[in-house]
Amino acid sequence: MSRAEKLTDQILERIKGKDVKVKREDILRRMKLLIEEFKVPESEAVRTIMNYLVREYGIPREELFDRDSPLVKIADISKVNQWVSLRAKVVQLWDSNSPNVSQVGLIGDETGIVKFVVWAKASQPEVEEGKSYIFRNVVTDSFQGRMQINVTRTSRIEEIDEDIQLPPREIEVVGSMVAIQQNSGLVKRCNECGRVLNKGVCHQHGKVEGYDDLRIKAVIDDGENVYEIILNEENIKELTGIGLDEALKIAHETLDRNAVLAELKNMLLGRYFRVKGLRGGRYLLVKEISVHKPKADDFNEILEALA
Amino acid sequence: MMRRREVAKRVFAYELLRSTHQIESEGLRYVLTPTGERVNRIFSVAVLLDKEEIGADTNNWRLRLADPTGTFYATVGKFQPEALEAINEMNVPELVAIVGKPRVFEGVSRKLISIRPENIVAVDLSVRDYWVLETARRTLERIEAMEKREGEDVELAWTVYDPDLNEYREMVKKALLTVKEDVEIMEKLEESPHEDEPEEEFDFEEFEFEEEEFDLTDLLED
Ligand SMILES: [Zn+2]
Repeated sequence: MSRAEKLTDQILERIKGKDVKVKREDILRRMKLLIEEFKVPESEAVRTIMNYLVREYGIPREELFDRDSPLVKIADISKVNQWVSLRAKVVQLWDSNSPNVSQVGLIGDETGIVKFVVWAKASQPEVEEGKSYIFRNVVTDSFQGRMQINVTRTSRIEEIDEDIQLPPREIEVVGSMVAIQQNSGLVKRCNECGRVLNKGVCHQHGKVEGYDDLRIKAVIDDGENVYEIILNEENIKELTGIGLDEALKIAHETLDRNAVLAELKNMLLGRYFRVKGLRGGRYLLVKEISVHKPKADDFNEILEALA
Repeated sequence: MMRRREVAKRVFAYELLRSTHQIESEGLRYVLTPTGERVNRIFSVAVLLDKEEIGADTNNWRLRLADPTGTFYATVGKFQPEALEAINEMNVPELVAIVGKPRVFEGVSRKLISIRPENIVAVDLSVRDYWVLETARRTLERIEAMEKREGEDVELAWTVYDPDLNEYREMVKKALLTVKEDVEIMEKLEESPHEDEPEEEFDFEEFEFEEEEFDLTDLLED
């Protein structure tokens, strides 16, 4: 295949599937003329033909020129300011308190997990936890020494019908619950996006009525590291016996929604838990959590070592 | 920029009481312990023996706490609202888990250490038992690092305290033995909940009753 033919086919590949009939011979003839006869540099030849397509066939300019960034794996992201495309699953979203941020959380593929930020200015459709997408033309960045992905105005997010597998980065820690953070307990979530409301306000959807939910953002500390975890209603009920219904009852009886948090703190703070979860970005994603108790053998082991 | 949360270190009261050297680093205050631990935050499980209001109606409390190796003090005031609320409602003695920041003060004749609790909450014995276990482990790791003279803080601890490491080993051993028996009993109870629980006999000798009053036959027939 000649160079002219190759370039012609590459151009045709770009407009494949678009509702235009372009004759290959027409393009090839022009390409040959430009490259073989007039010895125009390849890039100039391609540009000239693309311009011709825009003019003669009415193909939108950006569809031809907006070349998608290369598809890469998360593990291969190591430099900032690289434009890339990723096939990734939304691992977790967390609440952002910045009005400049539309969504923030973690996305992952088979090779790794990375934080991603969708800037409010990007006006992108919202993504959902657990769903997989192609994130086209996103730019790499670094924040506090860690890589992250920024979704900007020129990015494109397309949902894909595929469940992308995440890397096995499961860890297990035994530690004490040393703190329960704000916005825990009986919370209200936005009816539209499910994010936790701050004084009845969703930063995306403004003042909304919201619905009740139970959750805890806590810090597990094993004396060496701290892990931030989020417990959902199911986790909380399993650990304390207090589910959403009981929580609403407590709030109703005490006329105080904060009473639920106080009760949960009393039952959970200072205790030891064994937590199994995925380590990624800011949070340890809880898969299992249970109360941890010591065994007599553990004592004997150290005592023998001491003897 | 968001600062990473400081880890809560595990230190026995015995060692804590002997910690007098403070380090300022990047705007944070740390206490250096004799086995070379740099502590900005501490997690401890101890018995709250006493709470005493410093001055009438000041809502500033001095707490006396004890773990199996010694007694230490903590102070709670309005800047620790969560701990303050808990303390107001707590009766002594009570086993508590406490997260807080250690501070060294210049006393009249010597330096004193006290904890400012961020939170304090009543817990059960198994929490204490596990805390002793992990604090023992951590302390032994530090003793080992001291022996190998690993790291800056270790060097500093040698210079400041010149500790007798055997003394600390003995302390760890004592703490473990105190708690071990307790754990063994708990394990046995869990295996066979009723085996070791002797039925308490009621002492009828001291009990006078009129037969008629206690005849419940009618009720049973109903
Ligand atoms: Zn919303």
